[in-house]
Amino acid sequence: MKSIKAFLIAILVIPALGLILFGPRSEFQLPDNRIVVVDYWEKWTGDEAMQMQQIVDEFNNTVGKEKNIYVRYVSASSITQKTLVATAAGVPPDIAGLWDRDMVQFASLDALEPMDEMAAAHGITSATYKPVYWKACTYEGKLYGLISTPADVALHYNKRAIRESAPALRAAGFDPDRLPETIDELDAWATILTKKDSNGRIQQAGYLPIEPGWYLAYTPLWFGGQIWDAKNEKFTLTDPKVVQAYQWIQSYSHRLGKEAMTGFKSGLGNFDSPQNAFLAGTVVMEQQGPWMANYIYNLKPGLSTVKWPREVEMTKPLAERRENYEWGAAAFPSAVPGLKDVTYAGFDILLIPRGAKYKKEAFEFIAYINRQDVMEKLCKLHCKNSPLANVSDDFLNNHPNPYINVFERLANSPNAHGVPQIPIFAEVMQELDTLTQSITQLRADPETGLAAAQVRLQAKYDQYMKRQRLRRATQR
Amino acid sequence: MMRTEQRNLLKGLAFISPWLIGFAVFTALPLGLSLYYSFCDYSLLQPPVYIGTANYQELWRDPDFWKTLGNTFYYASLALPLGMIMALGAAMLLNVKTRGTSIYRTIVFLPSLVPAVASAMVWLWLLNAKLGLINAFLIWVGVDNPPSWLEDVRWAMPALVLMSLWGVGNTVVIYLAGLQDVPRELYEAADLDGAGTMQKMMNVTLPVLSPVIFFNLIIAIIGTLQVFVGPSIMTGASGNPEKSTYFYTMHLYNHAFQFLHMGYASAMAWVQLLIVLVLTGVAFWTSKRWVHYQGK
Repeated sequence: MKSIKAFLIAILVIPALGLILFGPRSEFQLPDNRIVVVDYWEKWTGDEAMQMQQIVDEFNNTVGKEKNIYVRYVSASSITQKTLVATAAGVPPDIAGLWDRDMVQFASLDALEPMDEMAAAHGITSATYKPVYWKACTYEGKLYGLISTPADVALHYNKRAIRESAPALRAAGFDPDRLPETIDELDAWATILTKKDSNGRIQQAGYLPIEPGWYLAYTPLWFGGQIWDAKNEKFTLTDPKVVQAYQWIQSYSHRLGKEAMTGFKSGLGNFDSPQNAFLAGTVVMEQQGPWMANYIYNLKPGLSTVKWPREVEMTKPLAERRENYEWGAAAFPSAVPGLKDVTYAGFDILLIPRGAKYKKEAFEFIAYINRQDVMEKLCKLHCKNSPLANVSDDFLNNHPNPYINVFERLANSPNAHGVPQIPIFAEVMQELDTLTQSITQLRADPETGLAAAQVRLQAKYDQYMKRQRLRRATQR
Repeated sequence: MMRTEQRNLLKGLAFISPWLIGFAVFTALPLGLSLYYSFCDYSLLQPPVYIGTANYQELWRDPDFWKTLGNTFYYASLALPLGMIMALGAAMLLNVKTRGTSIYRTIVFLPSLVPAVASAMVWLWLLNAKLGLINAFLIWVGVDNPPSWLEDVRWAMPALVLMSLWGVGNTVVIYLAGLQDVPRELYEAADLDGAGTMQKMMNVTLPVLSPVIFFNLIIAIIGTLQVFVGPSIMTGASGNPEKSTYFYTMHLYNHAFQFLHMGYASAMAWVQLLIVLVLTGVAFWTSKRWVHYQGK
């Protein structure tokens, strides 16, 4: 009996000891002379993650080495939820690379460290950034984050499809070399560029608001409207300009036929694949950000190497470089006469969650990213525009996106708008997404639907703010 | 208690202590805390503030609460009986002694080994309105206008039910084990009485199998009321199109981790628990009439 007992204990204890003594060890080893390890969690995966790793490595080998800081970079999916849980548990990363919409939600719940003093100490002020981005990084008068990479939205068009329909465009009184500047012109172009088969099935769509459909909630911007009045803390979904924007979205379902449009949309390939609707040429014009150039080059290089391979193209002047592309980018048309260069300017943001261990050191890295040379390098790698006010000629001339000056101009425009600063923005997006689906399926009238959404969202916001004020009053 | 008994008790407790500690820390404590949070305004990022029954009152007024509850019951009302019937039917077929039985059994069980995410991705393609194999087949058999499945409010839910039937392998295995436990002599007695195949199934197989059916029913009630992974991947966090596949658990998750209303989500979780308890209770209550345990 005793020997069985000893045997049982041995088979439990020996493997346990073995694991402790010889088991797996963390791969991470702190380099010599480093005192502080800054944990940085970032949402990117694939190429973008590797490109950021390159920047992190450069920091660790230069500034980090001088200041005894080592940045430990972790690329993670579902980054918002992971940061949320870690912050709630009191063990957040020192830097969290989140989405633009997350900042206000976290800041309104006192879950972020303000950066004003640290930024000022590093000489980073409102003058450092383009106004739209600085405004979006500031909430209730405090700076809560700085940008890692930004983007803005422009009209992307397929040159081949436009060339093929040039006679029809000319017959309708348009110059195929001058892109639509108003929504009416866009609609007319879209009609001409749309091709259907004998059964009425769409083979090629000139324009389709729901493809890719990522920026539908921002459509009112191009109609001169906004969904949120920050000053009065009121939703403005019943504003005639907002209603007009949603009516325009719905007009495509009337024009193309709801069933034909749904059928066409469901047959489109995945975004990150050569079957992407824009890459495959099945959608001629769409809203996209500057990074689309990277996707096009990686997934369908033929569209970006019409005349020369990339290395030859980069030796040529910018105007000539554009001849190498079967696609182009321009400001998205506006519905309001005189309202030009309208865009939604989004971004990825670096935040310091409340309870972070090494705030000062974390900011050293954030400040490093915001150095003009480093920011331009990262933005070139990610194929994005720069959030900084100053941009070098090298950035504009040698950027992998030959239309980068379009995106720079849009980001500098007074008509560029960031994400609305609403603490319950996630709920707003869900409400508007569902409404848009009902509108495009002709199951809801835009005016009625927006009025109902206005009531629901305002009630949610008012309740949220009431509870937050009560909480703050109790804490005082 | 004698010293030996005391020592044995201590030893016993020591042996089950990993489970006891695990249960206390990872189940009982969160359960208790979630009950408390359900009466609080709690975002995870700020300390909870007691607000009485406000979350429960808000639930009553939340149209999405009713919408998701309705969707979940709709799904359960289709997926549960269809899943049970299909699993039982498959098990009965696989119980027939024929050549290659073990291969057929493996084939039926295989889909339940596929991770939920992978199977959702496969079904996304199968159900693609334009390029999917299902519509290709429907067109081939002469259906002119096959449904757009996940893009169509009317067909999105049936599409998810269809997908759920693919993973009945686990239930089939349990039925199969139950079927093999049916005493041969009962069939022999039925044969002597002149019973046909249908009569044998109704009067021998199903009554003997009833405890297994009951077990599967309880598991299916709990499972269908908690459906989450497949729809989240296939139709998005808001249950597209137009929230037609927006389930209760998805709404709960969104409130907890997207909208940061953990107190509200906790209230939803307790309501869900109550619903499951009531339905399970009803199932137990009716079981007296139709579940027959051997030896009783």
